[in-house]
Amino acid sequence: MSEEINTEQMDHRGNRRFIARPKFCQFCSEKNTKIDYKNADLLRRYITEEGKIRPRRQTGTCAKHQRQIAAAVKRARYRIAALHFRTLPRRCSLRIHSPKKE
Amino acid sequence: MRKYEIVIIANPDLDEESINGIVEKVSGWIKDSGGEIEKVDDWGKRRLAYRIQKQREGHYVLITANIEPSAMKEISNNLRFVESVLRSMITLVEE
Repeated sequence: MSEEINTEQMDHRGNRRFIARPKFCQFCSEKNTKIDYKNADLLRRYITEEGKIRPRRQTGTCAKHQRQIAAAVKRARYRIAALHFRTLPRRCSLRIHSPKKE
Repeated sequence: MRKYEIVIIANPDLDEESINGIVEKVSGWIKDSGGEIEKVDDWGKRRLAYRIQKQREGHYVLITANIEPSAMKEISNNLRFVESVLRSMITLVEE
């Protein structure tokens, strides 16, 4: 029974697109780049277009630096308005096409 | 004494003089509490990621200073009552 489930999961995983990327932490290899809430351009690489913090599996950051990034992003968001919060992708413009009620 | 960073977002409509006035006011509080200013960095006007008090832009000023930790509460409280400051943040600088 459990085996069956396992194989099913394996199949599922096999179907999923997997893009291998080098796993190394930018801040471990470049000691000079400091994680700083003021450096919005650097932090922008670690958030998605929606404004969510990108997971470690995408960025390859190590756990220690990921925590620091998360703290810096939140500072930049809430307090100094350098980064945006999560924004939803723009909805389809139904409202524009809907006929005016008369 | 510990090293702190104070980021102030002031109203973008203010002229240079009133910005300096705010900076002097803040540094006055710091000096009164026995702290010392290390650096004042004026970033100028920047676009905000979202609107604060209906403003799309803000005038950013960064102050680095050595301050007694016990004085921080008063300084951050005082900042809240400066009307032309849209927002401020005080953070500890880790060495």
